[in-house]
Amino acid sequence: MRRRSLVREVLASTAGKIGVALGVILIAASILVVLVVPWDFGPSRWSNPSVWADYPKAVPPAWTAVLAADEPVEHQVIEADEPSESTARGDARVDVYDLVYEHVADEAPTFLSFSLADVTYLDRPPSLSVTLLRPDGAEVPLLRTTIRGPRPGEEPPFERHDETPLRVLLTAEPEVAQATSEMLAETFGVDIPARVLRDDIAAALFGAPDENGELQPLPGTYTTQVRVALAQPDDDLGWVRAVVGGTVFGLLGTDGSGRDLAQGLAFGLPIALIIGLAAATVSTAIGTSLGMLSGYKGGRVDLVIQRTADVINNVPLLPLLIFFVVVFGAQLWLIVTLLVLFSWPGLTILVRSMVLGLSGSQEVEAARALGAPSTWVLRKHIFPHTAPIVFLQLIFFVPAIILAEAGLSFLGLGDPSLPTWGQILEDGFRTGAVFLGYWWWVVSPGLLIVLTAVTFMLLALAMEPVVNPRLRRN
Amino acid sequence: MGPSLLRPILVRAASLGAVLIIVLVLMVLILGVTGFSDRILDAQVGEELRALRTTISETTTDPDAVEEVIAAQRTALEEQYGLDQPWYARMPAVVAQVLVFDLGDARTIRAADGSNSVADIILERLPRTVLLLTTSLVITAVIGLTLGVWLSTRPGSRADRFISYVAAITNGLPAWWAGILLILIFSFWLRILPSGGMYSTPPPEGAIASFLDLAWHALLPILTLVLVSIGPSIYVYRTLMLDVAMQDHVTVARAKGLPESRIRRRHILRVAAPPIVTGLILGLAASLGGAILIETVFSWEGMGQLYFKTFSGEPDETVIIGLTFMFTLLYVAARLLLEILYVFLDPRVRYE
Repeated sequence: MRRRSLVREVLASTAGKIGVALGVILIAASILVVLVVPWDFGPSRWSNPSVWADYPKAVPPAWTAVLAADEPVEHQVIEADEPSESTARGDARVDVYDLVYEHVADEAPTFLSFSLADVTYLDRPPSLSVTLLRPDGAEVPLLRTTIRGPRPGEEPPFERHDETPLRVLLTAEPEVAQATSEMLAETFGVDIPARVLRDDIAAALFGAPDENGELQPLPGTYTTQVRVALAQPDDDLGWVRAVVGGTVFGLLGTDGSGRDLAQGLAFGLPIALIIGLAAATVSTAIGTSLGMLSGYKGGRVDLVIQRTADVINNVPLLPLLIFFVVVFGAQLWLIVTLLVLFSWPGLTILVRSMVLGLSGSQEVEAARALGAPSTWVLRKHIFPHTAPIVFLQLIFFVPAIILAEAGLSFLGLGDPSLPTWGQILEDGFRTGAVFLGYWWWVVSPGLLIVLTAVTFMLLALAMEPVVNPRLRRN
Repeated sequence: MGPSLLRPILVRAASLGAVLIIVLVLMVLILGVTGFSDRILDAQVGEELRALRTTISETTTDPDAVEEVIAAQRTALEEQYGLDQPWYARMPAVVAQVLVFDLGDARTIRAADGSNSVADIILERLPRTVLLLTTSLVITAVIGLTLGVWLSTRPGSRADRFISYVAAITNGLPAWWAGILLILIFSFWLRILPSGGMYSTPPPEGAIASFLDLAWHALLPILTLVLVSIGPSIYVYRTLMLDVAMQDHVTVARAKGLPESRIRRRHILRVAAPPIVTGLILGLAASLGGAILIETVFSWEGMGQLYFKTFSGEPDETVIIGLTFMFTLLYVAARLLLEILYVFLDPRVRYE
């Protein structure tokens, strides 16, 4: 079977077309992920709680809003690193950041928080004020604060909030409750005392009282305006951020720690493909070479290889995999090595029987009679005949390996430094996502596993009749 | 059966027995070389001493007396667990004991009657796993054979192509994830089936009610197992039947004008039977490992869940060795059964 006609035959079937299309999409997507996402995504982002502090915990994807009776609030992180306005007065200046939020939901946000990071100043610490500008023109002062001054003995430039950002949960501050109460009294003439408001400041901040004095959501554009007074031209602020707490988030929702599932699952794609392809390739290489050696050499070599293959073929795979991973520790290279060690024997036995058949062929006898060395005979006159079957096995191995790794990860035996789909699923299942109805946490990783496995299954299905022409008759 | 039949089976039995011993020795070697065994036993001694310290501190106040008792007990315990010897002196006895089914005692895990004997614990759980696996295997085989035989009469039809796609997709569908989906659908959303466990709380009175309750809880796991294996099994049976149907003796039978139903029974099914049985038993053996995942998902207290539990908490060496041995034994036994059945089913197999 020539390479070009294999491709043509595969593309001729529906399974082949779908398989190739899915394969191209998966590989393109994983190249993109590898280029965009840093390699230490696992420890530096995924397993780093401070990255996810501003994200809502265990909320469904934003598109589920379409199905909801009331339009839910989409969780939004509004960030600015450049001021929208800057007024200089001598050396000093005032920078204004406008964080704009469009409120369209039928309910109030769950919270409003403000954070900033990377402040640098030379002598006087910057001070800032945060104000909410409402669509009805009312203004609510939210925060007034000064960055921490120099410590005794500290040399300028002074750096503040470079490691942990300053984060204020505005809707939990008594001062904000007081200011909101005053705003309601001034704008609407409604008197709700601050201590009553305190439990639900967000409803008042993003709402207006109806004729009965009940707070109703007020749609429109809200701007969280941050004014920063800086004393020196080189004084600087990294970024400011307002977070509007919602009940839906992003493309795939978040997990119980507030992590964006879309990011974790995207990172899992190249990992799954690399594990599957690498282990399958090595396993196929080992299986084929041992099979050829066994069939061609015969004698003691044959006996040893076949006995070893027989032993490995007759042991229960998953229990022993679990045993090895627990004893040796959950590292990715170890898991891949074990999967390779357990998967070669089937192919070795198959290749050996093919080689035994081919050894007696006229082609091989002719080559031997001409004095060709055995490596030459193996490479030029035997391997080409086994190649299509070997290639088919390679394609069959990939999903098997991906599923085995996912199963191990699901048992909590995955490499903790790399988030894989199986691990995200395990995380969800262990923390009770299934019983709490957090379907987005367990459905999407599983779907991705199935999609990846099925891609290779379809490719193998399309390749089978080409490689094994007997199947073509049906 | 004559010696010509007995001998190959004995050879096979010996080779499978060797597999069992190799696995056992390898496992014990690894536990020893990596220091895993010593760590587990150390932890065990430490734990017992802590308990002892709490007990005697209540009766004595003299710290020296306490230390003395503890030190004496430590030596006694280390001797009892064999920690005073290196692992390679301790382990051969372990292998020998396990091979005669003396599986030892578990540390924390107990059987329902309170027995801490590993053999009792495994024997209590084995039937539960077997119940789950064999029931779903029988259901899959019956549906698979019926539809497979039917499909083999219409190769290339729309139904045939549909099943080949279903087979390809379910081949990539992990049973444990399918189980999670079914729990979400039937247990969380529809609230018509239990999400896991084996009995309701409180368990119902009486044998019949108790059995019905068990069946009720087994429904989802069995449905899961059938769901993920039905597509591939139909496809495999269909392909097997087609393979045989294309052989010359079937053409001859047709040419003789034999009725189609008779051809199917006598000339196709009879010849296809050995590989079908092979597939069934291999499927059962393969599903043994998968039981670890499916039982964990459904909190089904079988061998698989026990295996997972032994590793995930504080590892218990005797249970680990005993269970891995049992898994390998069952797997190897299934293989041997296969060889024996093969000789009976296929008159061509004589190994001569």
